[in-house]
Amino acid sequence: MLEFSPINIICIVANLLILYAIFKIFLFKRVDDILLKRQEEVDEATKAADIATAKALETKKEYENKIALADEEKEQILADIKKQGYDEYERIVSDARKKGDQILTEARHNAEVENERAKEVYAAQITDMVIDAASKIAATKHSAADDRKLYEKFISEAGVDNE
Amino acid sequence: MNIKELLNEILLKDKAFIHMPFGEGRFDIYESVVVTWIIMAVILILLLILTRDFKVHNISKRQAAVESFVLWLRGLVDGMLGEEAARYTDYISTVLLYLAVSNMIGLFGFIPPTMDINVTAALSLMSIILVEAAGIRKKGVLKWLKGFTEPMAIITPMNILELAIRPLSLCMRLFGNIIGATVIMELIKHVLPVFLPVPFCLYFDIFDGLIQAYVFVFLTSLYIKEAVE
Amino acid sequence: MDLTAIGAALAVFTGLGAGVGIGLATSKATDAVARQPEADGKIMKLLLLGCALAEATAIYGFVVAIMILFT
Repeated sequence: MLEFSPINIICIVANLLILYAIFKIFLFKRVDDILLKRQEEVDEATKAADIATAKALETKKEYENKIALADEEKEQILADIKKQGYDEYERIVSDARKKGDQILTEARHNAEVENERAKEVYAAQITDMVIDAASKIAATKHSAADDRKLYEKFISEAGVDNE
Repeated sequence: MNIKELLNEILLKDKAFIHMPFGEGRFDIYESVVVTWIIMAVILILLLILTRDFKVHNISKRQAAVESFVLWLRGLVDGMLGEEAARYTDYISTVLLYLAVSNMIGLFGFIPPTMDINVTAALSLMSIILVEAAGIRKKGVLKWLKGFTEPMAIITPMNILELAIRPLSLCMRLFGNIIGATVIMELIKHVLPVFLPVPFCLYFDIFDGLIQAYVFVFLTSLYIKEAVE
Repeated sequence: MDLTAIGAALAVFTGLGAGVGIGLATSKATDAVARQPEADGKIMKLLLLGCALAEATAIYGFVVAIMILFT
């Protein structure tokens, strides 16, 4: 029962090696090819997904930048308008002040003119009165001293009246 | 016929299947080699049919079954071999499948090739050559020789003896299990009538055969793992 | 006296060691499963492996007995 025969052992070893080759070529290599291809496809899909997310992040950043710029412009426009408003206000106020000053000076000037005219009227009245007095004096005695006394008295009275 | 003749017929018959005309009987081919050829042919045809056209997407059920079977087998063998020795997975799974099939071929009427001690001797010879080659490839010749004196120098004779004892025990274990299963099956078939031997047949042929194949492969991969680290 | 029968009978005594060893291993395995029921898959695998390895010595005795009887 326990006979060793070397030729058979060699045959079995050869058979085992052929069986190993058969398994490797027909089973393992084919299955490995399919698994490798699937792995490659998954890798490519993940890579494409990575690229797409990177691009999406970039576009998002651009949009955010644009929105920030728009915000700045809005602020700037608001500031400009406010400044314009202030400028108008200032201008109107200064105009009004100038006009007020102008009116004041005109009024003063008018008042002075009125004063002058009133003075002239008084002067005319005084000359009238002087003429009257002179005519009265001419109707009486002509002494120089009396005249002088009458003049002084008349003028002091006219001055008192005037004052 | 009584038991003794039965056993004589199984154990002592002339195993030469093909008689070579030369070399006075030393070059006869035994039956086990012919049965191995038959197994190889059947496996080849089966593989050709099963892996006919493989597609990447939209796979058929047959392809899914084949792929999951290969992945399960690889997972099993990789677990036994570890990471460093992962290049030997293909050979180990070949041996596992061959042993599983040839231990169970008793169900189909052939005699199992592993009932011949030449087959088991060849298998264990290849295993021990693989183990030592893995050790030499990983460590280099000098360090491998030095590995015989680990862990202590006193154990060196034991280590050298283990070089011969390990394949012997593998060979004898497999041979003894299969021949014991066959002998006891014959006895039971002789003793009990028609359908009662079926559960015994299931135990001996299928369960025992698969376990012995797994144990053989497990021990080989354990030795490889030990030699590579 | 034909001593082959006695020789073969003595050779089968190796089954004793295998039986005791496997019995002890199974008892420890059931203890371990009782202690931690969720690890029972791994424990069963280890148990089957250990039984197959321990049965080898019993098988050696059987093979020697067959060899004595028939050659």
